[in-house]
Amino acid sequence: MKCEEYRILIEDYVDRALDQKTASRVTAHTETCAECASFYREMSREQDVYARYQRDVEVTPVLWASIESRIKQERAAQPEGQLGGQVGGMISRLREQLAGVFSAPRLSPAFAAALVIVAIGVTVFVMSRLNSGSPQQIATGNSNAAVIQPDTSNRNSDVAVPAPHTPEERKNDTVALAPEIAAPNTVKVAPPAVNPRNRQPARLTPTQLVRDAEQKYLTAIAMLSRDVNRRRSQLDPMMLARFDASLSEIDRTIRETRHVVRENPEDPIALQYLLAAYSKKVDVLREMTTD
Amino acid sequence: MIEAISLVGQSSGRAGTLMNSSEELIARARRGEDEAFRLIFDRYGRPIISFIYDMVGRRELAEELTQETFVRAYKNLKALRDDTKLSTWLFGIAKNVARESLRRRHRESDKVGIDDDHVIELSDGKLPPDRQLLDKELNGVIRDALGALDEDKRLVFTLKIFQQRSYEEIAEITGSSIPKLKTDLHRARAEMRRRIRPYLGVGYEV
Repeated sequence: MKCEEYRILIEDYVDRALDQKTASRVTAHTETCAECASFYREMSREQDVYARYQRDVEVTPVLWASIESRIKQERAAQPEGQLGGQVGGMISRLREQLAGVFSAPRLSPAFAAALVIVAIGVTVFVMSRLNSGSPQQIATGNSNAAVIQPDTSNRNSDVAVPAPHTPEERKNDTVALAPEIAAPNTVKVAPPAVNPRNRQPARLTPTQLVRDAEQKYLTAIAMLSRDVNRRRSQLDPMMLARFDASLSEIDRTIRETRHVVRENPEDPIALQYLLAAYSKKVDVLREMTTD
Repeated sequence: MIEAISLVGQSSGRAGTLMNSSEELIARARRGEDEAFRLIFDRYGRPIISFIYDMVGRRELAEELTQETFVRAYKNLKALRDDTKLSTWLFGIAKNVARESLRRRHRESDKVGIDDDHVIELSDGKLPPDRQLLDKELNGVIRDALGALDEDKRLVFTLKIFQQRSYEEIAEITGSSIPKLKTDLHRARAEMRRRIRPYLGVGYEV
């Protein structure tokens, strides 16, 4: 057998795709052929390099949230025919809006913070409605989230949200947020010139608003998590361990409260806990990025 | 430090459910248990998004196509004949989704190859042969070298080298014969080697 043929076998050898007998032949050949032995070493080195390859991609909570949302859309569309189609259409529009968030520029502690403002605004608004005993659909009024400020007296989480620092950040935030801010809170009938794709239902249920707030929290958390991951090596190991322990505990709480919310989607207490848990996670992540 | 809040205060039992076999998870997901499908995503989300990223080379697109992969999987769970091959089946869906996306992009612009905005000039001899790159730089070199492979070679290279799949599994995922897979992989390796060799101080001729 020629060296060229052995080199093909060496590739299979490195892949552990050879039977014992052929593997032994390859080993014996490399003991007597310096070139093939060199080839084997380089193959092994390549394998090591490929094993270290890291991709600029992560599995984020936002990714699962978007999958879950589409699955629910599929499920709703299947049994109900025309009605399901209408619901699917609404969710599809919502997804288009959310896609704008997901593809927004990644600079973004400021952008994440702005999203949190929106989410908190929605949260406070929804909870005030829920707690005032109006479980029916909420007429969302003219509470444009752009001007909603976090009501620190009404929350157990004091998120200190910085204003965008630079003109560029402010510009990006404004551009990226504009449709999102308008989305969940628009009540006025859209003027005739408005693109139909951007038109929103005038009334949203508390559940829909909570879901919207949840999506914004998840987006903000994903963005902050990326920043935190970049800063991990700069953090004090002791502090990092404490942060991680807190995050782990909060994640557990989020999982449990999400389960409870799923079982009792109209329970205001469960919803409050869920959104508060997200808020806590944002707090911790922000603390990690600013510490 | 911020205190964590707790609503339920009891163990969720999630650790136990993580021990579920794929077959059990599939059965539960088919019965409509959302948590089971979530666990499937937890288990396979990372390898699937990595595989798709290697195929399409763009983060945002990889996220979008991963979403599409799992939604298709959910819709077609009943079509999975052998529950022990969930992983292979998911990679097959991901391969289809990635290929459809690549073909759409080729149709939109024949001249645009894989991630042209990412591909850098990889010319042998531009860098000293013994130069050792930082991992970050090497990641970019590998990513761009992958992007320069043709689709079939990139597919088999990614599945074999990065995802550690057997030839039999890759044959099921791709529908190609094992001899063709071996030939494609051999050529893919040679191309990758030629492109990354200047960065590794490799001492042999290809």
